[in-house]
Amino acid sequence: MSVDPETQVSATSGALGSPAAAESEVGPRRRRTWTSITIGGLDLYSLWPIVVMILIIIITSLRASNYLSVSNLENVISQIAPLGIVTMGQAILLISGGIDLSVGYNASFASIVTGLLLEHHHPLGLDILAGVAAATLVGFVNGVLAAQNRAHPFIITLGMSIFLFGLDTQMTGGAPVNDMGGLYTTFGGTFWGGIPTVAIPLVVVVIITYVFLRWSRLGRQAYAIGGNEEATYLAGIRVKRTKIYLYTLMGLIVGVAGMVLAGQINEASFNLGQNYELESIATAVIGGTALFGGRGGALRSLQGVALYGVVQNAISFAGLSSNYQQMALGVIIVIAVMVARASR
Amino acid sequence: MATFQDQSGDRPGAGSAPRGAAHKPSNSSSQPLLDVRAVSKAFPGVQALTNVSCSILPGEVHALVGQNGAGKSTLVKCITGVHPPDTGEIDFSGNRIDAFSPKHAADAGIAVVHQRMPLLPELSVAENVHLGRLPTRAGFLDRGAANRRTRELLGRFKLDVDPEAPVGSLTVSERQEVAIARALFRAAQLLVLDEPTAALDAAQSQRLFAVVENLRRENVAVLYVSHYLEEIFALADRITVLRDGRLVRTTRTSDTNETEIVTLMAGHRPSVGADVERSSLPAPDVRGAASVRLDGVSTDVLRDVSLSIDAGEVVGITGVIGAGGHEIARVLFGLTTPETGSLTLGDAPYRPHGPRDALKKGVCLVPEDPAREGMVPEMSVAANISMVDLPRFERRGFLSLRRERTTARDYVNQLGIATASVDTLVRNLSGGNQQKVLLARALAANARVLLLEEPTQGVDINAKREIHRIIRNLATEGKAAIVISTDVQDLLEFADRVIALRRGRVARDVPAADTSFAEILDVTVGADVGTAA
Repeated sequence: MSVDPETQVSATSGALGSPAAAESEVGPRRRRTWTSITIGGLDLYSLWPIVVMILIIIITSLRASNYLSVSNLENVISQIAPLGIVTMGQAILLISGGIDLSVGYNASFASIVTGLLLEHHHPLGLDILAGVAAATLVGFVNGVLAAQNRAHPFIITLGMSIFLFGLDTQMTGGAPVNDMGGLYTTFGGTFWGGIPTVAIPLVVVVIITYVFLRWSRLGRQAYAIGGNEEATYLAGIRVKRTKIYLYTLMGLIVGVAGMVLAGQINEASFNLGQNYELESIATAVIGGTALFGGRGGALRSLQGVALYGVVQNAISFAGLSSNYQQMALGVIIVIAVMVARASR
Repeated sequence: MATFQDQSGDRPGAGSAPRGAAHKPSNSSSQPLLDVRAVSKAFPGVQALTNVSCSILPGEVHALVGQNGAGKSTLVKCITGVHPPDTGEIDFSGNRIDAFSPKHAADAGIAVVHQRMPLLPELSVAENVHLGRLPTRAGFLDRGAANRRTRELLGRFKLDVDPEAPVGSLTVSERQEVAIARALFRAAQLLVLDEPTAALDAAQSQRLFAVVENLRRENVAVLYVSHYLEEIFALADRITVLRDGRLVRTTRTSDTNETEIVTLMAGHRPSVGADVERSSLPAPDVRGAASVRLDGVSTDVLRDVSLSIDAGEVVGITGVIGAGGHEIARVLFGLTTPETGSLTLGDAPYRPHGPRDALKKGVCLVPEDPAREGMVPEMSVAANISMVDLPRFERRGFLSLRRERTTARDYVNQLGIATASVDTLVRNLSGGNQQKVLLARALAANARVLLLEEPTQGVDINAKREIHRIIRNLATEGKAAIVISTDVQDLLEFADRVIALRRGRVARDVPAADTSFAEILDVTVGADVGTAA
């Protein structure tokens, strides 16, 4: 409850919200505007992605009779799962004032490492471990470079992204690895008790991120660095080391996302995670994580992912081309940032 | 206003026109260039200026002096259009100023030269001087004309800078001259020089004084704000003394002397915290436990500084900005490594490698600027207090938020921090309460030596009194408190000892009871340095 941004999230989530969360928004000088209206402790403005999402669901369900169905819900979940995982990592970095633009090709990199090893008939467990480890190593390198404060992580991870694109293409020769074996049987449209299996790693990563940001020392330090790096350094916190840990954690999360992605479509290729860098930043920011650090949370960011998934799904239900998804997403991002600004 | 049209660029060679034609008629005119009448200005909780009047004659060098918080910068900001006065009038060149903005002031002919001038380092001197008004020929920039005009202008005021050099390659004092040239190019009739020598060495200062003399000769008025009285007595025609936001006196330099000015600056301010009793001596076994010593420490700023502070002692370190107080804090907190000299903490040599190391060894810094160096504004009160020692709040690898809040609540009660709850974001707290949160953090760090930079800056009188009390209590508990402050009066009221610095050297080290405001002021800003006992 001490890190306030997360508190708002626990209030919005309903299931996870605790009664105590309501009191924490009390501030002596807070002005009363529409953005600060609370109902039963729920902060209206931070809920806006969910409100918009519900509106979209209602409108779409009125126009398409088969929209509100279990299979469509499963559809949406399958679509957003890998992105949701990456968004959790991106949210942690954004909160700490960092950013990672290499996540897309890093996820591809992880899948390729695993895929190539699978081709040579190594045991699945080892292959997955190697893929995830490869992505984690990339995160570590990003972290070491970012911690020097010589260049903005935007540039560092952009460079890493371009590097990985080359490496990914070189490793596969441009052609995808087409058999992910056990990964496919696990994540390729498989269900456990009616739940798509891809939802499981998503839920696990969300819970871990939530706990990490709220109850771990590193998570707290991420908020501190993102909120005021100079003050954090002067308070005796090892800023460099913390940054390295956070980027490494990001690599680990991206590795997991790479496995899910590869399993879902049964292939490993350089373009598997394409666009994830921008989509993960967009969804985290839509959900209410600050682009320049200090504020945000796991469940907030998940909100953004959910809205993104629902918009995508609704547009394809309406029979419109995916070009409209892009247009809608663009509009939503701008609105999200403006709403966040208005609330300050 | 009169000279504004000169800048349209249509006149060939602005500098070749008969000198003075562009300026007010003559020095002897009794008509003041700037006339400030009964100006008052209040900020929330502070009456910064009360009924201040003063006037500046054309071509006059007019010094503005006063203690920190006397209202100098507020007056400058009223004159330069940053803050409109609440009441009162300001005339410039015979015209009433009714629209207050820095742009209006600049257009009228009032220019400020700050320590940090917004110059563009990648552009040349001439381009910086002409910025926004670069001459063009057939729609293209005419650099030749800009260079030529700049050279003329620089020559006229005997400024020695190459018009074609990029500003980024210049020294601090050369940049200052470029800033002055830019103001003159915009036909400024009044230049405000705000602490112009603070960043300059002795030779550079001499050069600046020569520039000021030339400005006087060219009939440009100068409002000279400085802490250093020797400069003022060397340069100024008249001196205006402010104290507590009121005008004390405006006097001709030839009619006064430094002692009188120091006395006028000091005045007799009502005591802030007379109820703060200097603690009875701490138990003997505590004394010495956390003593800190500097022996012959020199850095870029400090010159052979030796001093020692005992446990249970509150020591105030004062001096004008740049005199070295903050540098001492930086050295003790491991942010600056001394070039020579040694540090001792307790009985052992002390060589902090950085803030983390210093904190581990029991030295904690409460920084001057809470917003920039202290607070994480988007985090709660509790999180801001605990961040200095998070492992303490961990249970089985997870933070115990309950423990964190309980501890924070203890400190909130102990220090009387006014906040809705410990979950309130720190950015919602007032300045005084933010300061107290920083003090709470220092307590949570369990430091033996506290370095407090300007702990009472910008807080109201009640908060000030409470902060005094808290610091005294900490000393009673056996901590060594080092308070770095430019507020001498404040230090005299609650410190055991005052160390006055001047240009990086210890000018005086004396029990607070054995000195006076005027004496400390005299050794920090006065001319007679060598006489320190």
